[in-house]
Amino acid sequence: MAKNPDTQRLDLLQGTLDMLILRTLQWGPEHGHGIGQAIRAQSDDLLKVETGSLYPALHRLVKRGWLKWEWDLSEANQRAKYYRLTAAGKAQLSHEQDRWSQLVDAIGRIMNPARVAAGNPGNKD
Amino acid sequence: MGPHDDDLDEEIRGHLAINIKQRIERGEDPSSARLAALKEFGNVPLTRDSIRSVWRPRWFDAAEALVRDIRFGFRALSRAKGLTATVVVTLALGIGANAAIFSVVRGVLLRPLVNRDEDRLIYIRQIGPGIGVENMNFSVPEVKDLRSRVKSVGAFGEFSTVDFAMIGLSGEPRMVKAGVVDGRFFEVMGLRPVLGRLLTPNDDGPKAAGAAILTYRFWSTALNSDTSVIGKQIRLGPSPATVVGVLEPSVPYPVDTEIIANIVTSPHHLGATMETDRGHRMTELFGRLAPGATIEGARAELAAVHAATVSENPKYYSSQAHVQLTIARLRDQIAAPARTILLVLLAAAAVVFIIACSNVANLILARAVRREGELAVRAALGAGRGALRRTLLAESLVLCGAGAVLGIALARPFVALAAQFAARFSVRALEVTVDPGVLWVGSALAMAAAVLLAYVPRLPSAHAPAGLGLANGSVRITPGTNRRLRVFATTQIAFSFVLLVGAAMLLTTLVTLQTANTGYDMRKVLAFDIPPAATGVFSPNMGDFLQQATLRVGQLPGVDGAAVGSFVPWRDTGQASITLRFTVDGYTRADGEEDPRARIRFAGPRFFNVLGIKLVAGRDFADDDRQGRELVTIVSQSVAQRLFPNGEAVNGHLRVIGSTPRRVIGVVADLDDEHVERQPAMTVYLPVRQGGFAGRLFVRAAGNPYTLVPTVTRIVRDLAVDQPVERAATLEDIRADVLSPERLNAFVFSGFAGIALLIAVVGVAGVLAFSASARTREFGIRLAVGSAPRHILAGVLAEGMWIAGIGIAAGAAGGFVLVRVASKFFGAVPLPGALPVIGAMAVLAGAAVIASLMPAARAARVDVLQALRSE
Repeated sequence: MAKNPDTQRLDLLQGTLDMLILRTLQWGPEHGHGIGQAIRAQSDDLLKVETGSLYPALHRLVKRGWLKWEWDLSEANQRAKYYRLTAAGKAQLSHEQDRWSQLVDAIGRIMNPARVAAGNPGNKD
Repeated sequence: MGPHDDDLDEEIRGHLAINIKQRIERGEDPSSARLAALKEFGNVPLTRDSIRSVWRPRWFDAAEALVRDIRFGFRALSRAKGLTATVVVTLALGIGANAAIFSVVRGVLLRPLVNRDEDRLIYIRQIGPGIGVENMNFSVPEVKDLRSRVKSVGAFGEFSTVDFAMIGLSGEPRMVKAGVVDGRFFEVMGLRPVLGRLLTPNDDGPKAAGAAILTYRFWSTALNSDTSVIGKQIRLGPSPATVVGVLEPSVPYPVDTEIIANIVTSPHHLGATMETDRGHRMTELFGRLAPGATIEGARAELAAVHAATVSENPKYYSSQAHVQLTIARLRDQIAAPARTILLVLLAAAAVVFIIACSNVANLILARAVRREGELAVRAALGAGRGALRRTLLAESLVLCGAGAVLGIALARPFVALAAQFAARFSVRALEVTVDPGVLWVGSALAMAAAVLLAYVPRLPSAHAPAGLGLANGSVRITPGTNRRLRVFATTQIAFSFVLLVGAAMLLTTLVTLQTANTGYDMRKVLAFDIPPAATGVFSPNMGDFLQQATLRVGQLPGVDGAAVGSFVPWRDTGQASITLRFTVDGYTRADGEEDPRARIRFAGPRFFNVLGIKLVAGRDFADDDRQGRELVTIVSQSVAQRLFPNGEAVNGHLRVIGSTPRRVIGVVADLDDEHVERQPAMTVYLPVRQGGFAGRLFVRAAGNPYTLVPTVTRIVRDLAVDQPVERAATLEDIRADVLSPERLNAFVFSGFAGIALLIAVVGVAGVLAFSASARTREFGIRLAVGSAPRHILAGVLAEGMWIAGIGIAAGAAGGFVLVRVASKFFGAVPLPGALPVIGAMAVLAGAAVIASLMPAARAARVDVLQALRSE
C-alpha cells in the first residue's frame, strides 16, 4: 500500500467532499461509482474518494435535500441508484463555490504575500 | 426514514458490478476483477453501517454507545462487589430515609383535608399567654358575642368533648370519647355523611331528640361497617339517643371521638352554668370564612371584637392572663404539634443524604484513581475524552441507579415506620403512604449524583506522556486527589458528629426521665378508671359505693390495699387537673403577691399508703373524714414549708378560695403527678367524702398486678351494674406510655445517627485503605531501611485520628452555629450538655480507630520484597 503511485495523492480537506459531489452532479445524474471516478479523473488522479466516505456523504446530501435519487439500469446491466441535484442543491453548490474561492484567496494571501501584491494571480488560474 | 437495508445492499452490489464490468473491459480476468473490486471498495459492512448512521438521529448513536458502556459498567462492577455493595446500600439508605420523611412531611403538613373548601376553614383559640394557657376554649356567652358581632367569619361551629358511658352499641357499657356539637358544626366543617344524615339546626335546643353520628373509623372497625346501625337506640350516660348517620372519613380534631352527638344528649350542656356563665369554658370553636373574607381580615376583626368583649366583662378575664384570641387554618392547626419534630427529622434525613453522597463520591473517586492506568491505556489506544467520560458516566449511572432502585424499595417500610412515629403527633400520619413524587425526586437526585460523580475524576490526556502509569498500571495519587478524599471523609465525620450529639442529647434526656425517682411505688400500683359522671349518678350514695368497693377490693387475696382518688398520675394530665387559689391562716402575702395556687386532688382513706407516698407528719385520711365531720386536708411538703411557720402545718388552717377553712391533719412528700420531668408542685389533698369526687381506683398488689384486673372489675360491677371499669395499668406502664414519644424521638434520631456513623466509618476506612495501598512502596522502603512495623501502623492510625479530629472540630463549630441560627427561628434551642458531646466524640474517635485499624495493619504487614519489586 505504502509504495505505490498513490503516495502523490492528496487528502481531501474536511468538508470539501460535499462540494465536489455537488459540482460533479452539475452535468447530470450519476451513480456513486461514476461520481467517484469523475472526481478522480477530473483531478488527474490526485484525489481519490474512498467508498467508505463517498456513500455516507451521498446519503447525507440526500437527507439535507440537496440530492435526490432514482433507480435506473446501469451499464453493467444492473439496477443502480442515480443521484441528481435538486434546486436546493444547486443553490448550495453556488454558495459553496463562493465560500471556497474566498477561502483559497485568503489562504493564498497568507501563503504567498509577494504574488498577491503583484496582482492577485490566484484568480486568473 | 432512510433507505431499507436491502436497498443499501443493492446499491453496493450495483457499485461493485459496474467496477467489475469496467475492469473486465480493461482486460482483467473476471475472478481477479471481482477480488480487486471488493478490495477497492473496502469494508462493506462498515460502509453500510456508516450510511445507516447518516439516517439516524444524532442522539441515537450516543444512546447506543451509552447502552454499550452501561453493559460494560455492569461487567466492571460485578468484579468490584465490595465497592458496589457499599455504594448501593449507602445511597439506598440515603434515598429511602429521605423518601420516608418527605412522604410524611407532605402527608402531614401539606396535604389538604377532605373537608369542602378546607382552606377557608379556621380553628379559633382563646389563649392566656400570661398564665401559660395555650387553649382555654370558649364559654357559651363568649361564642354568642362572636357570632353576633363578627362579619368576616360566615359561620361558627361548636364542639365540646364529653366522656359518655355508652350502652347499646358494642356489648358491655363502655366509656366512649364523644363530641357534642351544635347543628351548624357539620355545615361549617364541610363534611358529608356516608350513611344516613348529619346533624342540622333542627337537632339543637333542649326539646330535640337525642341524635348521634358515628365516626367512620368507629363504624368500620368496631361495628364492621354494619349498615343496619342507623335508627338504633342507644344510651349515652343517662340520656337516650338514636344513631342517625355515619360521618365520612376525616381527620378528627381536636380529639379522636367515636361518636358525635347533639347538645341535648349532655345534660351538663343544658344547665344554667353552661348557658350563662362566661367563665365556664368548654367549647372548641371552628369557623368558616365568609365569602370574600381573608384570614388576615378575619384575624383582625376577631381580635378587635374579642378585645371589646374583654373590656366589657373584666371580671372574667384575669389581667394577669392577658387573654387573647388567635386563629389558624384548621390544616395548620392540626399539623402544628408535628411541625417542629418533622422538620428536625427532615434536616436529619438531609444530613444523612449529604453524608451518603459524599461517601459515594469518595469511593468512586478512589476507584477512578485506581483506574487511571486503564484509562491511560484506553486514551493511548484512541479513546476520546468523551468516550472515557461516558465510561465513567455509565458506571456511576449503574451504581446510582441501583442505589435508587433499592432506596425506592426501602421507602415503603421506611414510610410505614416514619408514619407510625409521626402518628404520635398528628392523626394525619396514619394515612400517609409513599409519595410517588418523592420517589421521582429521589431518583432524579440519584441521576444528578451520577452525572456529577462522573465529572469528579480527572481524565488522562492522550497527549500527555503517560509514562510509568501506563507501563505498570499502578496507582499514583496526586496531592489534589488525596486532599479531595480527605475533605469528603472529614465532611462525613463532621455531619455524623452533629447527628450523634443530637441523638446523645435525646438519649440522655430519656435516660434521666426513665431512671428518675417519682416518689411512687410504680410497679405495684394498679390504676383503674371508674368514672362517676358516666352513669349520671352524682348521687349521695356514691360515697358509700366507693367505700364498699375499696373495702371489698382491699380484702381480695393478693391485694395489699385499695384506695380511690381523682387523678391518675401523668395519664390525667390536662383533663382532670384542677388548680385553685388558697389562703393560709397566719400567712400574709407580700405586696403584689397573688394568693398561692395549688393542685387540688381528692383522695380516699389509705390513698397515700396504697400509692407509696411518704407521710411526713400527721395522719392519713380515715373513713370518718366525711360530710358533717370536721373539714380536714392534707398538704404536700412544699405547701407546708412555704406557707406555715417552721413548716409545721399540722393543725394549721387552710382555706381554698370560695370554701370554708379546713384543718391540716397531715403533710405528705412532694410529688409531681403531671409532668414526667419532675417539678416542684404544691398540692392540697381533700377527702373524697367531703364534697369531692373520685373516678379512679388504685390497687396495691402483692404479686403480679395485672392478674387482679378481672376480679377487681367483677367486684365493682357487682356493686353497680353499669359502672365502666377501664384502662387498668400499673403506674410504671402509664409513665412508660407517656414517655413513649420521647423514646420514639430518641430511637428515630439514634437510627439516623447510627446510619450516619456507619457510612462515615466506611468512608474513613476507604480513604485510609486507599491512601495506604498507594503508599505500599513507601512502606516497603521504610521497612527495608529498618523502620519498625509499629511505626507504620501508628502513622496510618494517626492519619485516621487526624481526619476524625478535624471532622469533630468542624462538626462542633458547625453545630454551634446551627444552634445559634435555629434559636433565631424556633426560639430557645438548648445546647447539648458536656456528656452528650464527650460521648459523641468518644464514639466517633473509637469508630475512627476501628476504621483505621484494618488499613494500618495491612500497611504494617507490607512484604518488603513484593513492594520493592513492583516498581
